[in-house]
Amino acid sequence: MTTHPIPSIHRVLGIETSCDETAAAVVDGGAVIVSSIVSSQIALHARFGGVVPELAGRAHVELLTPVLAEALEAAGSATSGSGIDAVAVTYGPGLIGSLLVGVAEAKALALAWDVPFVGVNHLEAHLFASLLEQPDLGWPLVVLLVSGGHTLLVEVSGPGRYRLIGGTVDDAAGEAFDKVARFLGLGYPGGPAIDAIAVDGDPQAFAFPRAFMAEGYDFSFSGLKTSVVNTVRKHPDAATEDVAASFRQAVVDVLVAKARRAARDVGAKALCLAGGVAANSLLRQRVEQACAEDGIGAFLPSPALCTDNAAMVAAAGWWRLRNVGASPLSLGADPNLRLVPTA
Amino acid sequence: MGGGSMNLLAIESATNLVGAALVTDGDSAAERSHQGGRMHAESLAPAIEEVCALSGLTVRDIDAIAVDTGPGLFTGLRVGVATAKALAQGLGLGVLAVSSLDILAAGAREEAGPGRARTVVVVVDARRGEVFASRYHFDDAVSGMDRAVDPAQARQVPPELVTPDGLAESLADRDHGPGESLLIVGDGAVRYRQLLSGVPAADLGLAERLSSPSPLTLARLALRRMAAGAEPSPPTDLLPDYRREADARINWEQRIPPPGTTWPSP
Ligand SMILES: [Zn+2]
Repeated sequence: MTTHPIPSIHRVLGIETSCDETAAAVVDGGAVIVSSIVSSQIALHARFGGVVPELAGRAHVELLTPVLAEALEAAGSATSGSGIDAVAVTYGPGLIGSLLVGVAEAKALALAWDVPFVGVNHLEAHLFASLLEQPDLGWPLVVLLVSGGHTLLVEVSGPGRYRLIGGTVDDAAGEAFDKVARFLGLGYPGGPAIDAIAVDGDPQAFAFPRAFMAEGYDFSFSGLKTSVVNTVRKHPDAATEDVAASFRQAVVDVLVAKARRAARDVGAKALCLAGGVAANSLLRQRVEQACAEDGIGAFLPSPALCTDNAAMVAAAGWWRLRNVGASPLSLGADPNLRLVPTA
Repeated sequence: MGGGSMNLLAIESATNLVGAALVTDGDSAAERSHQGGRMHAESLAPAIEEVCALSGLTVRDIDAIAVDTGPGLFTGLRVGVATAKALAQGLGLGVLAVSSLDILAAGAREEAGPGRARTVVVVVDARRGEVFASRYHFDDAVSGMDRAVDPAQARQVPPELVTPDGLAESLADRDHGPGESLLIVGDGAVRYRQLLSGVPAADLGLAERLSSPSPLTLARLALRRMAAGAEPSPPTDLLPDYRREADARINWEQRIPPPGTTWPSP
């Protein structure tokens, strides 16, 4: 099957079910969010301290109908799909049992409404999130994508044009927050839990290791996590606030140092944050400060666009349809999908 | 519909066979299916497109949707049910949910005929050393020699999750008339053929041919149920029939003990 660009696309319905958010959104022209509904499963997974794949898959099936109905209603579209020109969906990376639910739903809607279907890379969608709120940041951009599943540094030289600069060699940043929060008994998700308690702690109380790994662009968080655990065992009386603050400081120091250096090296016009960890208050503060010092733009999307949502999927789908074309209905889900360099 | 013909789409994905069938009031029928390789997400939408094209119809001409809601493969069921829900929502239709075990029993009845298929045991592989099983007895007094009788009226043992050993034991213990055979079908019958062939009067001759529920059998059964007054449900209410609790494990659960326990070496 050959694909060809479809320039006449306006309104795209986006669907996102790659992890523990069931989301649907309608975006006009790849830029204007007409409606965006996100149903989070956080409460469902909280007692397990992480996302349980089988529970997530089951919840997506329960939530997809009401979430879609709400997104269509808020966009003023009937369930007949009137006014919807295409359906976009995340087909990877993510949990296979969760991805399949969204992919099946999106194909069925494309069939029912007789409109094009397009599969979107979830990581690419996160990169488009920044363009939804601030479309004229200038090129190139460096995006630090940090979430429970990913830690990536990406150079974006134009819409749909990427180069991967760095990634994590072990845990994702958000995963490190979840694991340490769980160890400290702070609950799930770990990022907000640690963020909340760290405010009252001393970030200099413990000198946790910063993995700069010979000044490359890759990240490693497992040594830091182990150091937190060993420290707490050695000092059982240590204030949890101080441990949390020192841990958060160590993570943010490494993220900001590498992102800043990457931005300088590629001559970026702006540094953008993306992903759930981008909601971390210290990270936002420090990125803003670093960019001001370096004289480049800092773009910190609103938390609703940092965390998983379907508006970014619709925006990425719109771009893909106009520049690459539709996907075949035989597209499967790919849990290990990577960001393909195109820059 | 308004007095015209009814076009019913059937969606099947409960086992490793995935496919669709489109029937028009029972007389014209099209079927497309793919077996093996866990290709549920890849194969289903193209199969739906193809059965519509084969029938000279578009997706918008569909008047009713039926789906196999299991029990069966969890991911397969989710693909089928999510597809049915979204199609129904997009077309403004309801969905008729049908049990995988009933579809296989109806298939046995169609395939073997009333004489050979008086007592039918349906066994669907549930993995992890278990099966979903149900027993049907088509009493002549109730069903006559009608091949098209609804298996729901002949169900003797409701769907249960059992070990193959437990199933074989309970089948060996049952009372059965002289000369009466036990027709055993489903992918569980194929997987545990050796064990189940030890059951007295077991007939495993159709196990391979009826290892998976067929989209066409589902379509015919659904059409009969709707003719008998069965009401499709709104897509919101439609969910897979898992019959097994979710495995509540996360990939790093074992590596991250709860606070207070000993930390494993990194
Ligand atoms: Zn994400």
